[in-house]
Amino acid sequence: MENVLEKIITEPLKGFLQKIAKFLPNLFSALIVFVIGLVLAWGVKVVIVKLLKLLKFDALCDRMGVSETLKKMAVTDSPVRLLGRFFYWLTVIIFFVISLYLLELPTIEHLLEKLLLYLPNIMIAAIILVVGFVLGNFLGRATLIASVNAGIDFAGILSRTIKSITILLAFVMAMEQLGIARSTVIAAFAIVFGGLILALSLAFGLGGQEIARKYLEGRFKPEGREKENEIKHI
Amino acid sequence: MDKNALKEKLSALEDIDILVGIPSFNNAKTIVHVVKAIEAGLSKYFPTYKSLLVNSDGGSTDGTMEAVSQATVDMESVLINRRADKFRKFVTPYHGIPGKGSAFQTIFQIARDLNVKACAVVDSDLRSITPEWIELLIKPVLDENFDYVSPYYMRHKYDGTITNSIVYPLTRALYGKSIRQPIGGDFGFSGKLASFYLSKDVWETDVARFGIDIWMTTTAVANGFKICQAFLGAKIHDAKDPGSDLSAMLHQVVSSVFNLMEEYAGVWQQVTKSEPVRTFGFVYSVGLEPIQVNLDKLIEKFRIGVKELDVLYRSFLPQDILAILHQLAEKPKTHFSFPDQDWVWVIFHFALACHRRVMSTEQIIKSLTPLYLGKVASFVIETWDSSADEVEGRLEHLCLVFEREKPAFVEIWMKED
Repeated sequence: MENVLEKIITEPLKGFLQKIAKFLPNLFSALIVFVIGLVLAWGVKVVIVKLLKLLKFDALCDRMGVSETLKKMAVTDSPVRLLGRFFYWLTVIIFFVISLYLLELPTIEHLLEKLLLYLPNIMIAAIILVVGFVLGNFLGRATLIASVNAGIDFAGILSRTIKSITILLAFVMAMEQLGIARSTVIAAFAIVFGGLILALSLAFGLGGQEIARKYLEGRFKPEGREKENEIKHI
Repeated sequence: MDKNALKEKLSALEDIDILVGIPSFNNAKTIVHVVKAIEAGLSKYFPTYKSLLVNSDGGSTDGTMEAVSQATVDMESVLINRRADKFRKFVTPYHGIPGKGSAFQTIFQIARDLNVKACAVVDSDLRSITPEWIELLIKPVLDENFDYVSPYYMRHKYDGTITNSIVYPLTRALYGKSIRQPIGGDFGFSGKLASFYLSKDVWETDVARFGIDIWMTTTAVANGFKICQAFLGAKIHDAKDPGSDLSAMLHQVVSSVFNLMEEYAGVWQQVTKSEPVRTFGFVYSVGLEPIQVNLDKLIEKFRIGVKELDVLYRSFLPQDILAILHQLAEKPKTHFSFPDQDWVWVIFHFALACHRRVMSTEQIIKSLTPLYLGKVASFVIETWDSSADEVEGRLEHLCLVFEREKPAFVEIWMKED
């Protein structure tokens, strides 16, 4: 009877307690590392925010149109605060991952390995998105000014189209990097982009009839030529 | 050509009294006339001075340098005695950033190395230059101790509209000197000023590419050099490339003025009024060919600009100015009038936007183009039947508005700092 009790209760209990005794130091180390991580993350955030404010990063983002884009996306925080938060959470996540490693649990280790391998993709996708937004804004503005100065009536539409295409392209590239519904996203992009080009071609073709007529008249019929300005600006 | 190679070539020359420089790039068709006018001018008006003509070329492939070397004047036909021992020609390519500024840097270096007393620079595409131009640009320096001689041309009322509506009134209000053609292109200056220009660390910047004219004028004025202007008559030169973009031109000129405002903020903020500068030369009126103006096109571009660029203007133009622009865009051609007061504040706010760097300077200034065309259209409507003197009176009014509004502008600028 004693043997039976030992086999059924005492031995598993001993084993369990041994495992707990072995696991507890790991858990404590993990908790300590995580708390250190939290403190360090707070420090990193403070330093980053102060440094970026010193470098007038918000003003730079204003100039590049980043702040405007963020406002349109209903993000009320300034770019400096956003970056501060980003680095805070990045530090927290890094220390969280280290803490999990310290637990020495095979299943978690396997999951973490996969996560760590995926992290660079997330970073690259984020960079692609940010660059896409900045570039989209810049190109949109440049197109707007150039087309207004060329006297194009639909300058606003043209500018918004260029901006949207650039941002859309960045979004597709980011999704491609993340490997999310790769074929669906690319197919959707091709359909949208193709449709857009077709719509633009039709718009140019139909709307440009008058311009083409005027151009040809001006080219081949002197009396149809529009009077040119001879003002010398300099 | 590097500095040492240039010095080696110059060592063959002795000290020179007068230097006249011509920057060039593919100007073989027009430069010969300019060279002849300079040689005749130097021989006629400065026969006892040792003089040097320098052609600083940007790598022409049409034989410009050869044309300069071979050009000679038939002195007998212009009743001048040739003094071959007093006149030299020096043709050299310049190196560095391509542009008029780099060509001028080479000319300044030669002037400094040869201890030149007086210099002049003239454009290589001039068709109306006469020997008298050389006298008028050089004599105030040699005989009256002026350091800088700015040109004063007789131009058509719709010729030089960027100068008339922005550069002249703004420069005059800022620095207090009434220099009529601050970006004229043909100047006289002392050897001392040439050395001063050379000492400035700008030769790797945009000044080397474009904007050297306004840079020379502003640098001379802001640093207290003795300034005057010389009446040269009509300025007729080769038409600029018809494909050249107005907004790019506007950007080059206005960004140069705005950049100089940053550099000399301490100077112009102290200036409270303007004064005329002494003018040499016999002023006479010149017959000028009429200019064709398409008002509808100008006003249409203004309207498109106000409508489409509104989203951009909102980031640096105040509400009241925006409201005025929108009202103006609604008006028919017969009532189209851009008041001086509003135009002045448009320019001031564009300067402030560049100062604050609300976006790229190029984009800010290029977005000024439709508003500028609106001001030109308004000016054409107002002055269609006006004589040259009446137009000058109209410009005088604009200058006075710039000067009157300047204190308020200075206050805003200083608050920004």
